[in-house]
Amino acid sequence: MKPGKEFTEMTSRSVSSNMLYRPMRRIYVFQVPTRIFHWINVVSLMSLIVTGYIIGNPPALLQESEASQNYWFGINRFIHFGSAWIFTVNWIFRVFWAFIGANKWENWRNFLPLSKKQWKEAWEIIKLDVLMIKNDTHLSIGHNALAGFSYFIIFIVSLVMVFTGFALYAPMSESWFPQLFNWVIPLLGGDMFVRFIHHASMWIFIVFTIIHVHLVMYHDYVEGRGELSSIIGGWKFIEEDILENKNKSEEQNTENEDK
Amino acid sequence: MENHPFGILEDLNTKKLTVYEEMKERGYSRRDFMKFCSTMAAFIGLSSSVVGQVANALETKRRPPVLWMHFQECTCCSESFIRTSHPIVADILLDKISLDYTETLQAASGHQAEKSLHDTMEESYGEYILMVEGSIPLANPGYCMIGGISSLEILKEAAAGAKAIIAWGSCASNGCVQSARPNPTKATPIHKIIKNKPIIKVPGCPPIGEVMAGVVVHLLAFDEIPELDNQGRPKAFYSRRVHDTCYRRPNYDAGLFVESWDDTNAKKGYCLYKLGCKGPVTYNACAVTKWNGGTSFPIQSGHGCIGCSENNFWDNGPLYKHLAEFPGFGIESNADKIGVFAAGAAAAGIAAHTIATNIRKRKLIDSNIEEGRKGME
Amino acid sequence: MSQRIVIDPITRIEGHLRVEVEVEDGKVKDAWSSGTMVRGLEQIVKGRDPRDIWAFTGRACGVCTTVHSLASVRAVEDAVGITIPPNAELVRNLMFCTQYIHDHVVHFYHLHALDWVDVVSLLKADPNETSRIASSISRYPKSSPNYFADVQARIKRFVESRQLGIFANGYWGHPAYKLPPEINLIAVAHYLEALEWQKEIVKVHAIFGGKNPHPNYLVGGMACPINTNEVNALNAERLAHVGELLKNARAFVEQVYWPDVLAVAPYYLDWAGIGGGLSNYMAFGDLPENGYADVGRFKFPRGIILDRNLNEVHEVDGKDEDQIKEYIKHSWYSYKGGDEEGLSPWKGETELNFTGPEPPFDNLNIDGKYSWVKTPRWRGKAMEVGPLSRMLVGYASGRTEFQDIVNDTLGKLNAPVGALFSTLGRTAARAMETVLTCDWADQFYHQLITNIKNGDERMANTDKWEPETWPEEAYGVGMTEAPRGALAHWIVIKNRKTENYQLVVPSTWNSSPRDPQGQRSSYESSLLGTPVYDADQPLEIIRTIHSFDPCMACAVH
Ligand code: HEM
Ligand code: HEM
Ligand code: NFV
Ligand code: SF4
Ligand code: SF4
Ligand code: F3S
Ligand SMILES: [Mg+2]
Repeated sequence: MKPGKEFTEMTSRSVSSNMLYRPMRRIYVFQVPTRIFHWINVVSLMSLIVTGYIIGNPPALLQESEASQNYWFGINRFIHFGSAWIFTVNWIFRVFWAFIGANKWENWRNFLPLSKKQWKEAWEIIKLDVLMIKNDTHLSIGHNALAGFSYFIIFIVSLVMVFTGFALYAPMSESWFPQLFNWVIPLLGGDMFVRFIHHASMWIFIVFTIIHVHLVMYHDYVEGRGELSSIIGGWKFIEEDILENKNKSEEQNTENEDK
Repeated sequence: MENHPFGILEDLNTKKLTVYEEMKERGYSRRDFMKFCSTMAAFIGLSSSVVGQVANALETKRRPPVLWMHFQECTCCSESFIRTSHPIVADILLDKISLDYTETLQAASGHQAEKSLHDTMEESYGEYILMVEGSIPLANPGYCMIGGISSLEILKEAAAGAKAIIAWGSCASNGCVQSARPNPTKATPIHKIIKNKPIIKVPGCPPIGEVMAGVVVHLLAFDEIPELDNQGRPKAFYSRRVHDTCYRRPNYDAGLFVESWDDTNAKKGYCLYKLGCKGPVTYNACAVTKWNGGTSFPIQSGHGCIGCSENNFWDNGPLYKHLAEFPGFGIESNADKIGVFAAGAAAAGIAAHTIATNIRKRKLIDSNIEEGRKGME
Repeated sequence: MSQRIVIDPITRIEGHLRVEVEVEDGKVKDAWSSGTMVRGLEQIVKGRDPRDIWAFTGRACGVCTTVHSLASVRAVEDAVGITIPPNAELVRNLMFCTQYIHDHVVHFYHLHALDWVDVVSLLKADPNETSRIASSISRYPKSSPNYFADVQARIKRFVESRQLGIFANGYWGHPAYKLPPEINLIAVAHYLEALEWQKEIVKVHAIFGGKNPHPNYLVGGMACPINTNEVNALNAERLAHVGELLKNARAFVEQVYWPDVLAVAPYYLDWAGIGGGLSNYMAFGDLPENGYADVGRFKFPRGIILDRNLNEVHEVDGKDEDQIKEYIKHSWYSYKGGDEEGLSPWKGETELNFTGPEPPFDNLNIDGKYSWVKTPRWRGKAMEVGPLSRMLVGYASGRTEFQDIVNDTLGKLNAPVGALFSTLGRTAARAMETVLTCDWADQFYHQLITNIKNGDERMANTDKWEPETWPEEAYGVGMTEAPRGALAHWIVIKNRKTENYQLVVPSTWNSSPRDPQGQRSSYESSLLGTPVYDADQPLEIIRTIHSFDPCMACAVH
């Protein structure tokens, strides 16, 4: 394929490719800190969802015991708050990493849909992978623009959880950090509403997780580039020819922009 | 007044003297005055060591004038105030403040009542404490009028000369029941109208009598506005959630909840969280100060807290759910039901997507498989 | 020549009441009463969970607190068919009695007494003589000369401070004040005693309902469980507390309130001929002895008296849509069907429509709309409701308890039955029913103890707690007797939500403006003919208005 064609076509793999065997290139997409972030995030979030849901809808357990013998609901809340700290610190770390240590796929720019190119790519992904009205695949070495956008949303919702969560937590804490969120409650008009937002937003994570995990497996299944293992081992495997095409087209694009 | 037995009344409202001035004028000596002070001190139960202070107070201080305005309200705040047990309200009225206007208790009606109001507003301009019970309807001046004047005008005029304002109850501090959806009169709490005066919010529907008295006593005894939290409420009474001071808290932490009214758990005094107790989101002194001279408080009597001191509490979802309902989704539409629905929809979408993938991307997948097989050869 | 007098605000009531009267030759020739504050509660409760409405409507009033909550839970229970356990009925009865005792005592001393008692005149009283009189009318222990001397000294100091506070600009010295200084002193001493006492009796509400004002209710019963072996529930200590409070309340009513009424009344017998007003009296009745469904066994019977005919009691039915209707011809509302129409409460509408005059104004537009109070009618007739109606319906129904206390009182005052139809009669009726209520509270209390002793610890029926168990559409009425009179709430439930909700409140009946036919309601008609000594000091007008114990937050809601 010659440079100058449509961007997506340049970077996509044609179904009609008749190459029987194609060399793959191994690319180190997610560095250790990113992977650690991801799994700490997954674990703390799971814990927050489970414990949070229980806070919202306590089951009738151990009803025959005396209050003085038993503290399970308190422990549940303790786990929620503990996980909340981990979750928060982990996010702060990830944001930090996105600016100072990240490679080009982990970089903060990948998450903010700021350029027209990203919007275009996202629309392309919708057509290719969501609606499947185009029978093709798209090469993104890191995450694609649509995924990046969904992570951005999850980042924002995480902020909402942290702000509402710590605002609710502040009156039970003497420590300085939660006190930073004291203004949230008067701003939103009262604990009740803050709690409502906090509880309702949980479902955004649940829905996200379901879709996110599905799409990860979808990509792995359809593209066979090691998508799933990239967040574990860090590597992805990309066909050499396609990678070269992509690189060329990107050069081309930057040249065009320069003119 | 013509046939009044006591001449003293004639100039009562034109000239106000301190007790000492008053006695001097009547020919009593300083010694008589000090004797009077010690009797006074004994009368109100103070030890002789504070006679000097009493004398000082009587020499220099008049009882601070107070105007108590009623707007859109139900008078439960006044009712609660008269229930206070320490100090009892008779002592507040006779010894501590000069309640120059309050529609609930004052003797005079009509013009005479308004005269009391205006006399204090003029003579004690900048000195009086304004206490407000009730909200202001901004949708139409006709929704609350006294003496043919709109509540908004009355409030503005009274606030102008006030030293400080106390917003009694949820009506004055957050609009209370009349500001609940759809707020037909546009009932508005006073801090949204008066911006240039210190306002002490004492929310609650009503606030606890002793809390109300406590705020007044704080103002008088320490001669300062009590420290307020970031919502303008005195920290002394509103810095803790009901939940943090609730005596049923151990049950909450142990996960022991009342499951339905009057069940065995209810009879054992378990936590009322699952029946909608709003204690975890409500700042008030109920669980500590309790109500009616420490007799009980809502939770102690088996009903959850309804959050009556919180902003907007009437619209914070149904009473018997501890979490608000999603607006616009009909009854019983809480966040979890909608969330489960959304998650279900996502799962269904995924199933459809998986099937579609295997159809639409068949060739692609086959070519991958083919390529893989070739690689093995 | 006639003169228009405006009294606004009328103080020592609940809420915002304005009265305009036309005085001619020292007598009231015509009168208009206006509620000048509205909140729109009937609109606010629409669309909400019917189980929550008691809390909203309870806030109709903090003075007659609990009564709207009671009417509301009954309306919902009626609509969806819930019968509450006997203990819950007894607890509600005890809440009810407590409310009466509190409200009536506070009304007499703090809202009404200053119409009859000249505070300043007590400075002339002789404490010894006061003590002698006090001891002759009551066994109340606080009756020594020193006690009265102390009170007198305290008031003297207060007056001399020249800051008269709530007593400033009162009508002191008005010739309509008739009491000797000693009785004035007794009354003011008891004003202060009652102020301190009233905070005690409401503790019954705190025990059962968690707080007062605005105690908690529950659809299906009450929320306070009984468990004699638990500190967190109604146990022997809690019940003993209630018993003690009721005992002390009864002592106060019998030793202070009732003797004071009997001591003051003889000086004002002329007021047995003033302020009668309407001649129709209505009571919905309350205090069930055998459940709310058994109307025949209410302590306060239900019924209507027409034209002051005490030989016949007519029936009143809240579910008969032909009986009770509300009009808005002179009220600031609009009906879809126009101003002449009357709507039965299930079909009621609440659409605010302020037609002026724009404040500030001097006079109401009495030919047009002039009040926020709607005008309820029973079969087109204006009804007086309140203590007097209850006593009359009880009397005319042949209940001996009612007849005994009425006859006994009239005998003591040497007055005919007709004296009841008056300002004085209304005030006396309130005191009489307080005495009866103290008795009944005692009975209910002992019944509750007996039930528990027999092993019945039920307090709530939750069979129909979940809205899924309700019909798609349901209609309910909750009737009660609030301290100020017959109160009912009507609810329409559709799809488990409140489709329509209407309150028709005692003060609505009494304080309403004229109906489309020009008929006056209680306040307006009771003022006709009232003497006015000094148009600048409308003491006599306030007396009659106060005898109804107005509550305008209630009346408009
Ligand atoms: C993002 C993940 C999180 C999820 C999914 C989550 C979920 C929940 C849920 C469902 C509740 C119950 C609310 C209710 O129904 O009343 C809850 C309560 C709470 N969460 Fe979180 N939460 C998250 C993060 C946080 C964070 C970061 C904090 C910060 C400290 C936090 C603090 C709290 C607090 C204080 C409560 C109230 C607990 C109580 O009052 O007993 N949460 N959370
Ligand atoms: C709790 C739920 C989860 C959340 C909130 C979450 C969030 C994220 C985020 C924010 C990223 C971007 C990583 C970065 O650049 O820093 C990411 C990437 C990734 N996640 Fe998750 N994740 C979740 C669960 C999972 C699970 C359970 C798996 C595996 C089965 C998974 C597999 C992946 C993979 C493979 C990537 C890289 C995908 C890409 O580059 O587009 N995630 N996830
Ligand atoms: N009118 C009236 Fe009420 C009473 N009693 C209620 O129903 O006062 Ni607030
Ligand atoms: S705050 Fe509540 S209790 Fe106080 S006046 Fe308002 S409605 Fe009544
Ligand atoms: S009863 Fe209410 S305030 Fe008390 S512990 Fe339970 S949830 Fe908290
Ligand atoms: S309902 Fe109100 S009275 Fe106290 S316990 Fe809750 S704040
Ligand atoms: Mg009504």
